Amino acid sequence: MELEEVIGYALRIGVLTSTLLILAGLVLIVVKPPAPHILVQLSTPHSPINTSSIPPAQVFTGVAALNGIDVILLGLMVLITTPVLRVAISIIQFIKERNLIYTLITVVVLFNLLLTIFIIPTLIK
Amino acid sequence: METVPRRPRAIKHFYQRVRRRMVDALLFFALLTAVSVAAGFMGSLTGLGGATFLVPIYVLFLGMPIQYAAGASLISTIATSSGAGSAYVRDRLTNVRIGMSLEIATTSGSIVGSLAAAWVYAHRLQHVIYILFGVVLLGSIYTQVTRSRHELPDPKPPDRWTKWLQLCGRYYDHVLGREVEYCGVRWWLGELIMFAAGVVSGLLGIGSGALKVVAMDWAMNLPIKVSTATSNFMIGVTAAAGSSIYWSLGYIQPFFAATTAIGVLAGSFMGSKVLLRLRSATIRHIFTVILAALGIQMLLRGLGLY
Repeated sequence: MELEEVIGYALRIGVLTSTLLILAGLVLIVVKPPAPHILVQLSTPHSPINTSSIPPAQVFTGVAALNGIDVILLGLMVLITTPVLRVAISIIQFIKERNLIYTLITVVVLFNLLLTIFIIPTLIK
Repeated sequence: METVPRRPRAIKHFYQRVRRRMVDALLFFALLTAVSVAAGFMGSLTGLGGATFLVPIYVLFLGMPIQYAAGASLISTIATSSGAGSAYVRDRLTNVRIGMSLEIATTSGSIVGSLAAAWVYAHRLQHVIYILFGVVLLGSIYTQVTRSRHELPDPKPPDRWTKWLQLCGRYYDHVLGREVEYCGVRWWLGELIMFAAGVVSGLLGIGSGALKVVAMDWAMNLPIKVSTATSNFMIGVTAAAGSSIYWSLGYIQPFFAATTAIGVLAGSFMGSKVLLRLRSATIRHIFTVILAALGIQMLLRGLGLY
C-alpha cells in the first residue's frame, strides 16, 4: 500500500472514529442524563463546563463509566490527534524517500505540535 | 449539588425537572446544529471555511462567549480539513512538501496567536478580537470579489528556494484535460504570510484558509487547485496546534465543540456536492453580503457601537 493511501485511510478513520464517538456521547447524554444542574450548565451559552475543568486522565475513567461528556471529549481528542498522525506518517514517507531536508522540516512541525500538546499546557498551569 | 431525593413525590418532581432540562438542552442542540450546518455550507461554497461564519453568528446572535465560539470553530476546522483531505490526497492535488515547509510557520504562528488570545482574554480586551475579526471578515470579501478566473498562473522563473526546497510538482487537471507542471517561487514571502495566517488562526479560532491561499496563489505563484488543496491540508495541522493550547486554556466546551464539528462537517459535505453542479455566481454573492454584514457587526461590536 502506498503512503498516500495510508494517509487517506488515516484521515478517514480519524474523522469517522471521532464522529462516531461524538454521536455516541450525545446519545449517552440523552439516554443516561447527568444531573439536571449539569444539563443546564452544559447547554447555556456561558457554560462553566469546559476542558480546563476536566483533566485528560478523568476523561478516560469517564469513558469507562459511559459518561456522555467524557465520550465526547475523547472524540475531540481523536479529532485533534488526526492531523498529528498525518504529520508523523509524512516523516516516514520522507525517510523512505531519503529526503533529508524534508525529514528535518517535518520533524520540526511534529515538534511544534507535540509542544502544544505536552509542554505548553504545563507552562500555562 | 442535586441528588436523587428519597420521598416518592419528590422523586416524581425530580424526574420532571430532568425531563424539562433535557428538552431545553435538546433545543439548544438543535439550534447549534442548524447554525453550524449553515455555516459549513456557506464556508464550503465560498472556500473560506465554516469557522469564518460561525464565530460571528455564535457571538452576535447566540450570545456565546467568544472563547467558546473560537474553540468550537477551531475544532470544526480540523474535522472539515481531515474530511476533505482524503479526496485531495487521492487526486494528488495536495503538495505535501510545500505544505510541510510552510507548516513550520503556521504552527509557530498558531502557538503565538493562541497564547496572545489567552493574554487578551485575561486582560478583558475582547473588543480587540472583535475588531480584528471584523477586519478579517471584510478582508475576505476582497478575496471573494477578485477571485482569479484563469486556472493557471503565468509561469515565473524558479529561484534558489525552488531548487533547495524542491517546490515543483505536477497534477492531472480534469478541467484542462492534461497534466500540469508547476514550480513554487518566493518561498520566504509565502513563509512570512503563513506565519501571519497562523497567528490569525490561533487568535481568532478560524482556519484562515483565505490568507493561506493568498500566500500560495499570489506569493508563490502556484495553481489555484494546488493552493486550495494544500491550504486545506495545512488548516488541519495549524488548527491541531491551536486547539491543543485552547484545550488547556479551557476554551473548549465539549457540547458546543461536538455539535459544531458534526454540523460543520455535514454542512461542508453538502456544500461540496452542490459546488460541482453550481453554475451561477448569485448564491456566492448572497454569501458575500452575509460576510459583509457579519464583518460590519463585529467591527461595531468591537467599537462598542452595537
